[in-house]
Amino acid sequence: MRNPARLRGSRALALLLLAPAVLLCLLPITYALALELWFSVSSAAPGTDGGFVGLANFQFLAGLDSFWQMLFNSAAYLVSGTLLKLLFGLLMALALVRPFPGRRLLYAGLFLPFIFPVVLGTIAWYFLLTNVHGALDYLLQGAHLTQQPLDLKSRLPLLSVVAVNVWHGSALFGVLLLAGMRSVPADQLDAAVVDGAAPVRRFLHIVVPYLRPAAVLGCLLSVLGNFGDFATVELLTRGGPLGRSQIVSTFAFENALLSGALGLGAAVALVMVPVYLVALAVAFRLIRE
Amino acid sequence: MRLLRPLILAPMLAISLAPIFWMTVQAFKAESDALATGNPWWPDHPTLANFVTLFTEPQFVGWILNTAGVTVATALIGVCASLLAGYALAYLGLPHSRSLVLVFFGTYLLPQSVLFIPLLRLLAELHLLNTPWALVATYPSLVIPFGTWVMWTFFRRLPRDLVDSALADGAGLLEVLRDVLLPVAWPALGTVAVYAVAVAFNDYLYTTTFIQETSGQTLWGALGALVSADISNPGESFAAAVLVATPVAVLCAMFAESFARGIGAGVIET
Repeated sequence: MRNPARLRGSRALALLLLAPAVLLCLLPITYALALELWFSVSSAAPGTDGGFVGLANFQFLAGLDSFWQMLFNSAAYLVSGTLLKLLFGLLMALALVRPFPGRRLLYAGLFLPFIFPVVLGTIAWYFLLTNVHGALDYLLQGAHLTQQPLDLKSRLPLLSVVAVNVWHGSALFGVLLLAGMRSVPADQLDAAVVDGAAPVRRFLHIVVPYLRPAAVLGCLLSVLGNFGDFATVELLTRGGPLGRSQIVSTFAFENALLSGALGLGAAVALVMVPVYLVALAVAFRLIRE
Repeated sequence: MRLLRPLILAPMLAISLAPIFWMTVQAFKAESDALATGNPWWPDHPTLANFVTLFTEPQFVGWILNTAGVTVATALIGVCASLLAGYALAYLGLPHSRSLVLVFFGTYLLPQSVLFIPLLRLLAELHLLNTPWALVATYPSLVIPFGTWVMWTFFRRLPRDLVDSALADGAGLLEVLRDVLLPVAWPALGTVAVYAVAVAFNDYLYTTTFIQETSGQTLWGALGALVSADISNPGESFAAAVLVATPVAVLCAMFAESFARGIGAGVIET
């Protein structure tokens, strides 16, 4: 198809063009990964490389109740967060799939939580949920629904974190599923979303198969995003109270930065790798289809 | 569906916008009744004072400039590196280019927080800690994998003749990139740029880990202190946040559909 002599001459150019991406991305990430593996089997601390300690860091973690609690929290966070985002994203996509006046504006409004800086969104939720003159309590007390502050952040810390995550991330599922719905043949989509005899069954049989790639992609991004999330938990609850909302990254942050045990922190962060590898296998199957 | 639509959309829109609305209200409150007293949902004495006074305080101006610089640099570096890499991988017949594309895609899925501990050490060795340069050095590594993947899938879908006929006419490989591909690649480049802004606007881990001196912080890193009440002037903080976040967020929300197409590139047929 193309001139082979020309292509051979272009190899040097190709490497040159790849250089920025390799130097700024693949190289530092590979180096960091190698360093992390070393940290996890060492007694490294800030300013020192420490010595080889074998699996002592992992054994120490396995003996900590707070470590297992953190793993349970992380699993609950990513599973419940992902399922709820899928549900709300699907509702958003269904409500927006057919044209109506003002659709574009609504679309932008519902997408706003996803693009709004997550730090600001979480700070806002902190003050909505706080037990000191919280904005949510103000509304509820104004409507005479409660007398006392709800204090959700302390009483249900994990649920509060999930709620903020769902607020932030549902729109991503919404836009992905909307893009997926565009691949459904128009007449079939119309038949499925118009009110009728058995709209739910028709939706399940006709539309859902077309939405599978979008849904799987959304779930992948959500699972990996939640597993690696830091800002939401750190700003809303700091992993507390008493570690009840601690997740992988806040736990690693506490060990590595606040306590200075880089080795322990690295071992905690590496907990994410098995989940990442499974997700990677799913992702490669998805893009091969 | 037509009957259900408002029942679904009204509460979703209200909950989506409530925290953003709340934050905007705080920006218009007089400093004396911010956060602790009064109606949290409406300013009792609406004022623009916060928006004015924040510019007289060097720390706010510094944070805003840091944020702007880091965001623009991340977008520029991310977009350029992705464009060049995507072009090289799609057109220049490198051996194993497909495997390399998959390496970039796999890197895109790697959670950001896996590597912050060794990156901290790496940046210390490079003497970049405590300055915004730490972020300029690391944010592109979060943009380039996604960007290269998007540019590669975009180039793969272009008709092959476009490049072949230009080459047959005697154009050089760099001229093809500049004169033939760049003019049609704007939608894909825009997707990468929006993603880069999202990376810079959503990070909290790197900015708190790599920058411990307040003066080197981005606005997002600095405002985190609000929840521990370490910032004495919340009104100005929220004014700065609203000032920087709102225009960019609204602009990005208007490009939501092309953003979704980019995220779904190579997975969702459109």
